[in-house]
Amino acid sequence: MLKVENLSKEFQSAGQKVVAVNQVSFEVPTGVFSVIIGKSGSGKSTLLALLGALDKPTSGSIKVDNEDIVKMGDKKLIQYRRKKIGFVFQNYNLIPNLSAVDNVILPMEFTGVSRSRRREKAAKLLAQVGITEDKFNRKPSRLSGGEQQRVAIARALANQPRLVLADEPTGNLDSATGEVIIKLLKHLAYTKDTTIIAVTHDDGIAREAKQIFHLQDGSLV
Amino acid sequence: MSLINRGFRNAFRNVIRTASITFILALSIAMSLIMLMSLKTVQAKIDEVKSSIGNTIVVSPAGIRGFEGGGELLTEIEVSKISALLNISKLSKILNARLTTDDTNLKSAIEAGSFGRRTRINGGGQTQVNADGDFTPPIMLTGTSDLSITSNLNVSQLEITQGEKFDAGSDQNVALLGKTIAEKNSLVVDSTFKAFGEDIKVAGIFEGGNTFANGSVLMPLKALQRLSDQVDQVSSLTVQTNSIDTLASVQTAIKAQLGDKADVISQQENAEEALQPLQNIKTISLYSLFGALVAGSIIIFLTMLMIVRERRREIGVLKAIGASNLKIVNQFVVESMVLTLMSSVVGMILGGIFNNPVLNVLAKNIKEPDLGSSFAGPGLGRAIVRIGSGLVPGVQDTLRNIQAAVGFDLILYGLLAAILIAVVGSALPAFLISKVRPAEVMRSE
Ligand SMILES: Nc1ncnc2c1ncn2[C@@H]1O[C@H](COP(=O)(O)OP(=O)(O)O)[C@@H](O)[C@H]1O
Ligand SMILES: [Mg+2]
Repeated sequence: MLKVENLSKEFQSAGQKVVAVNQVSFEVPTGVFSVIIGKSGSGKSTLLALLGALDKPTSGSIKVDNEDIVKMGDKKLIQYRRKKIGFVFQNYNLIPNLSAVDNVILPMEFTGVSRSRRREKAAKLLAQVGITEDKFNRKPSRLSGGEQQRVAIARALANQPRLVLADEPTGNLDSATGEVIIKLLKHLAYTKDTTIIAVTHDDGIAREAKQIFHLQDGSLV
Repeated sequence: MSLINRGFRNAFRNVIRTASITFILALSIAMSLIMLMSLKTVQAKIDEVKSSIGNTIVVSPAGIRGFEGGGELLTEIEVSKISALLNISKLSKILNARLTTDDTNLKSAIEAGSFGRRTRINGGGQTQVNADGDFTPPIMLTGTSDLSITSNLNVSQLEITQGEKFDAGSDQNVALLGKTIAEKNSLVVDSTFKAFGEDIKVAGIFEGGNTFANGSVLMPLKALQRLSDQVDQVSSLTVQTNSIDTLASVQTAIKAQLGDKADVISQQENAEEALQPLQNIKTISLYSLFGALVAGSIIIFLTMLMIVRERRREIGVLKAIGASNLKIVNQFVVESMVLTLMSSVVGMILGGIFNNPVLNVLAKNIKEPDLGSSFAGPGLGRAIVRIGSGLVPGVQDTLRNIQAAVGFDLILYGLLAAILIAVVGSALPAFLISKVRPAEVMRSE
């Protein structure tokens, strides 16, 4: 489903060249829960950003369902982000003045899901990630960290993405809550036929994964 | 939750900030509106004055002061040189004279009053003493060569109420009498009175539109020249050019002909001088209008800049989950529109409240342009002012007309200003939005 070849990303920082991702190649089949581990600054976030088309690589190719996203134009990339990718971030990144349910509805607005279907789908997704109905209309600030991350996962799944990219999804949560979130992601990978790549430095989480990629100074080891 | 809906809601995310920005922006919009209205008021006045400028030039002997005499009168030779100039469509010569009791059996229609008596005691000159030792002011007599030009006759209008006009080109002893002098002397059409020792026949009686005019007498120029022993003499000349465009060149030509001997004054010159304060107010209003609009744009610009920077991460998230630049920009434009529209509503209310006081102050300070003030001779000057105020509605009237139209204009311009400000103020923030890298949201801090 995902095939990465010779992927590199360089940054120019204060006149110095930083190779954040260095000649990385790997493959992930459909419906697999895989994990990227590595120390801080090893290039994990940069790699996820490239996979999610949030950034352009310096070189290499990323094939999703046999289509190279590196070669896509801006319009196609927007479609790719809308339909194929779901993102989960360490600090949740929910829109602060939208309610839980409106946050989940937002990506569906971009893909043209009908108004009535949006709300219905959002409610279903929120229920699946364990948000009770009394919290649907709460703003993120009135939800706990774990609840916010659940809402974020529901939002990531809103358009039935092929690939869910989670960057340290448990990083801001206590270990018990973190475990629940990881179980949730893993479960979704099974039931939804969705490939999940999660970044973590929690070895416990890593053990849950079918595939583990180890990044060190931008290279896979 | 649509894009418009989100933009709208975002406008109220920070209520205190929204309220203060609305208020400040409203002030600048109110200011723009008031300046716009002031601009319209002044412009209307300027247009009025301009349209009231005739294409006439007045030529009078240097130093002459109406009926008081003084200076050297113009001669027919000089007049004929002027009438030979190009682009002159009409030319009217007048001769002013005053009739005292020595010259006429007419009684003045004007009571001397305390002012007249004081003038006499102070040696103010040619008043006449009657048998009782009292005196009456002299009677003003004007000889004219063309009754179709009335601006030099000291009348506000020339409406014949009895009889008919005389032939101004003739040399006959005929006259038109103002209605009060006719009444005072019980004269009707075809009656006669004495002037300069001869019988003058009343050809008609006129309503002159003011007390001074109704107490005066008009005669054919040639007859008055002969009777008053001033053959070939003219006390002033009114020239009408064939168009307003030739006014300046004709004026120059006349000046060249007469040199220092005469004052050659056109209404245009006068009007321009009179219009100067109006032009100044217009310029100030224009700059203030620009200033207020620019200030408004800067306010909304800085606000949007602040908001965009504050929501940088949010913009990144929107991009990461598939929003296009255009969608995000539109959402922010909606937000700035909501802010500016709200401000314009408040601004229109403030503008409506402060518009009238400001325009009233303005109107008080705009003096009625005195078109006649620098014309030769006080008599002439007065006459033109009278004509002016008869034809031209005053500033107050203009103001009233404009205020009547303000309601609709205010709303229209308010909305236009708001849209303009919102668009200008959103342009750079929109550019900043497009520059936000979605990958930034991966950074956690
Ligand atoms: N926008 C950027 N500009 C310059 N350097 C960057 C940028 N983003 C990441 N880097 C650098 O790339 C390396 C990898 O960063 P990152 O992918 O965030 O690591 P991780 O997520 O594994 O902690 C680091 O050295 C970081 O400083
Ligand atoms: Mg990271």
